[in-house]
Amino acid sequence: MARVRKALTIFSICALGLTACAKTDEPGAAQSPGQQQGPVKIGISLPLTGDFSEPGKGIQEGYKVWADQVNAKGGLLGRKVELIFRDDASDPNRVSSDYESLITQDKVNLVFGPFSSRLVIPAAKVAESYNMVFIEPAGAAAEVFEQGFKRLFYAAPAIADDHYNYLADYITKLPADQRPKTAAYASLDDPFAQGTAYGLRDKLAAAGIKTVVDEVYPPETTDFAPIAAKIAAAKPDLVVGGTQFEDSVGLVRALQELKVQPKLAAFSTGPTLAEFPAAVKGAAEHILSPVGWSAVSTFTGNQEMVKRYKELFGGEANEDAANGYTVGQIAEAAVNAVKCVDPTKECQDKLTEHIRQATFETVVGPLSFDDKGRPEQAHMIQQYVKGKIEIVLPEQAKTTGIVYPKQEW
Amino acid sequence: MNLLLQGLALGVLTGGLYALLASGLSLYFGVMRVVMVAHPAFLFLAAYLTYTVHTTLGVDPFLALPLTVPLFFALGVAVQRLLIARLAPENLAMMSVLLTFGIALTIEGLLGTFYTGSYKSVSMEYATRSLTIGGVHLPYDKIIAFGVAALTLAVLFAVLVKSRFGQALRATIQHREAARLVGIQTERVAGYGFGVGLATAAVGGTVLALITPFFPASHWVWIGKLMAIIVVGGLGSVVGAALAAILLGTVEGLVLVAVDATWATMMFYVFLFLTLLARPQGFFGGRLAHRF
Repeated sequence: MARVRKALTIFSICALGLTACAKTDEPGAAQSPGQQQGPVKIGISLPLTGDFSEPGKGIQEGYKVWADQVNAKGGLLGRKVELIFRDDASDPNRVSSDYESLITQDKVNLVFGPFSSRLVIPAAKVAESYNMVFIEPAGAAAEVFEQGFKRLFYAAPAIADDHYNYLADYITKLPADQRPKTAAYASLDDPFAQGTAYGLRDKLAAAGIKTVVDEVYPPETTDFAPIAAKIAAAKPDLVVGGTQFEDSVGLVRALQELKVQPKLAAFSTGPTLAEFPAAVKGAAEHILSPVGWSAVSTFTGNQEMVKRYKELFGGEANEDAANGYTVGQIAEAAVNAVKCVDPTKECQDKLTEHIRQATFETVVGPLSFDDKGRPEQAHMIQQYVKGKIEIVLPEQAKTTGIVYPKQEW
Repeated sequence: MNLLLQGLALGVLTGGLYALLASGLSLYFGVMRVVMVAHPAFLFLAAYLTYTVHTTLGVDPFLALPLTVPLFFALGVAVQRLLIARLAPENLAMMSVLLTFGIALTIEGLLGTFYTGSYKSVSMEYATRSLTIGGVHLPYDKIIAFGVAALTLAVLFAVLVKSRFGQALRATIQHREAARLVGIQTERVAGYGFGVGLATAAVGGTVLALITPFFPASHWVWIGKLMAIIVVGGLGSVVGAALAAILLGTVEGLVLVAVDATWATMMFYVFLFLTLLARPQGFFGGRLAHRF
């Protein structure tokens, strides 16, 4: 027994000695201290499967296009960018542990946000606890900004409540005889979707447009006909949906079936996706939707991104990809401005301070942030006109005039 | 009043759809005490196949059925004989949940690989119009779903009651050993029983494709609803499940127009809870549940 122990001791000492020798032989060890080598690692957890897999993948593509272009230009501060993706399966518990391990195990230099407010909040909590700056592409619900986060920035033109601002302006400024009198709202029980619809509802209600239906449905809802029946019974002039995709299609179809013919119909998110017109056929005509990005705009880097996206992934870029790309653009500008990209508190503090006060030129237009990380701009309003997506509001960005009242669907 | 009538009409029609979607689940449990979590995944697999047939051949989605129904029957037999029959009988119910959960994930993954994660939909001209009777609108897609469900369930019922295969299947459900003694090849019959269950998923999937857009993970929202239906109806009872489906569909429709959507969705679980408290064998199945 004693002999075995002795042998083990000798063996361990030798082993230790060996590792010590190996250490000094490492190629990086000769570098001067403080000069971090290797790639700039960026940790990202995204919903690549589950409920949000579709937008999750869109954002992933946006991140990849950005990394590809940065690396083509020689990287961040001369170092190659390497993206480390985790799949959180749209699960808020998984997203926390993902960021936890990205920061502590993978020792990433920066973290970028996941998709949707539901995942952004738990993710930002983790980032905040490690003093990491947290730029996120999709977490626009009011709750995101009420958590007291100090290092969170939402890289899109507007928070949920402000998405419909231009439309609210347009409607409230219509002459009295054309102005709608009643409005029906149906919204998914989701902070972002509800935020968009309620932002418009509150502004219209304040202007005297009566809310006749205000319905909230859970994500499990598969049948929209009874909701449409309620709307049909109220005969509103406007129908507004705080929607994602399936529910926007479900609502449009059900409203048609129940013969609701509003003068104006607006739905969030759904109509901005390429699959929408095929899913609702001709009913897409004249449907309005807030949109944070347009493929034809000439904002900084937009045309290059659209082109590179096509080369890398085939198909057309979408808003999710643009939002992911925007996160990259902001991080890139901030890193270049403060000349550091370490996970240390000092560097992350510098990045945070810079982002808070600067204005960034991005593919969704110039962006700046308030003290809670909210962007200070507003969304454009798109409309299907003669089967094509056109920007109709605001005045300075429009590609054609808004059609009101809409044709029957 | 009119609104309530409208809610009632929509609820009954939707209940018919639920009956179709849940019938297979009830059958699996009746035949071999298998809790088939993958049933909704197969529904959407059928929906995707319908989509492919519809878009590549440009034909009505229902013309996919001659292809998908036999295919799903064969798939069902294969799943039962190759996978489920190998589970240890002592804890079949538990292990079948795990196995079919795995199957559901596999199907979801494959759908994602082949069809990508983007939404697909089959939109027919008739799917957005409706029949109006006395101020109540009855959407054609829902009427079609109800009709297809009624037809499928009638055929299923006739097969179970009248045909020799149905008798053998029921004998297998009632008493496997006795059935074997009178010369029924129970393994083979169980395989066919599973095949019939999955064949209903082929029909259900086509109807679903017509009604709602879908993506690979769409099946998760249906599991809870369909499970609630078969428990309320009495596990294993096809007729019980159909009645429970109509009941829950109607309650959902009425609560939706009278209260709101959150309560309407909750009704499924309220009924599930009440059933488990008051009558665990189900409201319509009763003791029959063990027979059929």
